[in-house]
Amino acid sequence: MPLNPEHIEKYITSESDSKTKAELLELLNERIKKLCFEECERDRILCTLSPMCSKRWLLKLRLLNGLTIEDQPKFCYSVHKNIIQRDFRNKTVIYKPFDTYLYLIDFLDVFFHGDYRKLNKFLSKGDIKSAKDIFEDRINNRDEEFQYFLTTDKNYLIFKFDERIHIIFLNEKYTLCNANRETIANLEILKGLTDLFSSLYFPEIERYIILDDCVEIVTYIPKDILNKISQEPPKNDNNKKDQYLWDTFANDLDALSQFCKEINLYIDNKENMSIKLHLDTYSGIRYRDLRLVFNILFRLYNDFYIIWI
Amino acid sequence: MDIIEEERKKLSEKQKENPEINKIKDFMKDERFDDVVNIIALYLGDSTDEDYLERLEDIIETLMLLHGGRTVLRFLIERLIIDIPSLLENLSKRDSVLRYSFLLLLKSMCEDECDLFLPYSEDLLNSEDPNVREAVLQLLVFIAGGEKSIDDDSLIKAIVDSLKHEKDFVVKKAIQALIAIGKDNPSLITKIITNFVKEFPEDKELKESADKILKSIVSVEGIEEIVEEEEGIEEEEAEISEKELELKKKKIEIQKKKLELEEKEKELEEQFIHEKEKALKLKEDIIDQEGEIPPKKEEVELPKKIKKIIKKEESDIFDKELELKKKDLEIKKKKLELELREKEIEQKAIEKKEEALRIKEELIEKENQLSRVELELKEKKIKQKEKELLENELERAEEFFENEDSEQKENDK
Repeated sequence: MPLNPEHIEKYITSESDSKTKAELLELLNERIKKLCFEECERDRILCTLSPMCSKRWLLKLRLLNGLTIEDQPKFCYSVHKNIIQRDFRNKTVIYKPFDTYLYLIDFLDVFFHGDYRKLNKFLSKGDIKSAKDIFEDRINNRDEEFQYFLTTDKNYLIFKFDERIHIIFLNEKYTLCNANRETIANLEILKGLTDLFSSLYFPEIERYIILDDCVEIVTYIPKDILNKISQEPPKNDNNKKDQYLWDTFANDLDALSQFCKEINLYIDNKENMSIKLHLDTYSGIRYRDLRLVFNILFRLYNDFYIIWI
Repeated sequence: MDIIEEERKKLSEKQKENPEINKIKDFMKDERFDDVVNIIALYLGDSTDEDYLERLEDIIETLMLLHGGRTVLRFLIERLIIDIPSLLENLSKRDSVLRYSFLLLLKSMCEDECDLFLPYSEDLLNSEDPNVREAVLQLLVFIAGGEKSIDDDSLIKAIVDSLKHEKDFVVKKAIQALIAIGKDNPSLITKIITNFVKEFPEDKELKESADKILKSIVSVEGIEEIVEEEEGIEEEEAEISEKELELKKKKIEIQKKKLELEEKEKELEEQFIHEKEKALKLKEDIIDQEGEIPPKKEEVELPKKIKKIIKKEESDIFDKELELKKKDLEIKKKKLELELREKEIEQKAIEKKEEALRIKEELIEKENQLSRVELELKEKKIKQKEKELLENELERAEEFFENEDSEQKENDK
């Protein structure tokens, strides 16, 4: 039986001899270098249409480890940026660039082309106010449709273009574009996203950070609606509220339980049903999971809370 | 409705396409390709300088995604609604994703209908835009992968010129194109590349590129072909040397004939002198006879016989003089003709010698290439043998140590 990747993985985790491990990793490093700078870029058509690493993840490997644009295979990175740009402009792309990373200046070039140098200067120097002025000008005077949110500790800037989420890591000077399957890195981003979505879709729902441990979100099903719900399962589709609470609500709670640290359901002192969710990042919640949570919250808010208000 | 649905609704409102693209899509569904071509022609015709590229990109994107897109594209190219040179130049201004996706769309067309592209290739290979050059080279790679082989000397020379381009990606594509073409036509590519490399003897990068191409196109079969060609050249050489011998023989024959003619000339001159002497003797005799007999009587007594003889002799001499002059002229003519022929033959001989020399030079080049390849093969063999020897030595050493161990154990016992 030939050597397979599992053998290597096992060796790296179990072997105590650091010298041989270093040798093995150096071999791997050399292989990656050759793959990126010689084999893949040898034919630009192949590099563009079928890169040798899936969705160019080796660019991400370098970027996340603090390597600069100079350390990246240039043509491959330019194609990577092109793909994000084409996707942003709704052009056809070879693959959807979800969870891709760009250096800050390149992100600004793609999404805010005319002002990217100024924005880069402001954001690099921490002059968020001047950057915000530009964003506001684009939204109010140039018919651009996007939302943005600066997180509480001013470490991240979250952008929402239609259904796409992009997160600028201000200290690291890079951006996660089209966040989807990546795990949410910390509570600050989680709270920021909650605040952004909340301001757009369920503005009156309460949100707090509890002891730097989790984000608490509280919503209600008002007493009036609870009282109107039939005591037996509905026999037809006429009453959607009945149908939701009898048929779908349990499934939604089940779905929420996969992503929440805690879910509390209780009747408060005003006899409303409170639904309290605790979300944290330790369970490895992903951006797409959070959207599902927001989706359920949006439905509860839209179908029950807002009517009651 | 949930968040995702709401966002998608907004997005689809934004993405609403222009009516022409929708029409194109509808007609494509019904396979009304001619109508599609007409709509595209009008759509592109109405464009301004600013939005032409946008419109072209929209069309290309639409065609790339639809079934039958290739057919429509072929019609557009055939009817010159989209012409290849300007299309490649326009695509060069767009991003690489679109450019290469579109090139890939042309692959099957290049393989089956290369005549649509070949006429423009040489001009486009001289384009200042490296992206255009790269695109043409890629199309040539596709064409070489098809049924028709490329054997146009000047086109191949233009590709070979690209080996010296400043952009690395153009050089790489040129190498790829030459390897693709060279698989069908190794001797021609070998010849053109070696001649090109000779022009730049100090360019190491060029040499490396040439080596790469030659190594890729010369297989064992290829070497056989080249050897066969060399054998053919040897036969030609033998023929040339035979012809040289024949020419020499002819030269000698001509010289012989010249000598014979000279001899004949001399003989004729001698005969002429002899006749003149005879005539003079006769005149002297007549003068002597005149001295003995009074002139009046002579005129009276010797009129008919002597006069007749003299007249005859004179007329004979006159005739012979004429004949001699004629022959002189003929000889001169023949001499000139011979000289002309000689010069022609000499010219031919020189031309053939030049040809032979050129063929010899090519032979030497090919011998050099062969010897290089042979050397590489030998090196590989030697390395293999070294490996084997090392392995044998190791085995022997192991056996030796094992024997020693066993002996020691026995001694210990």
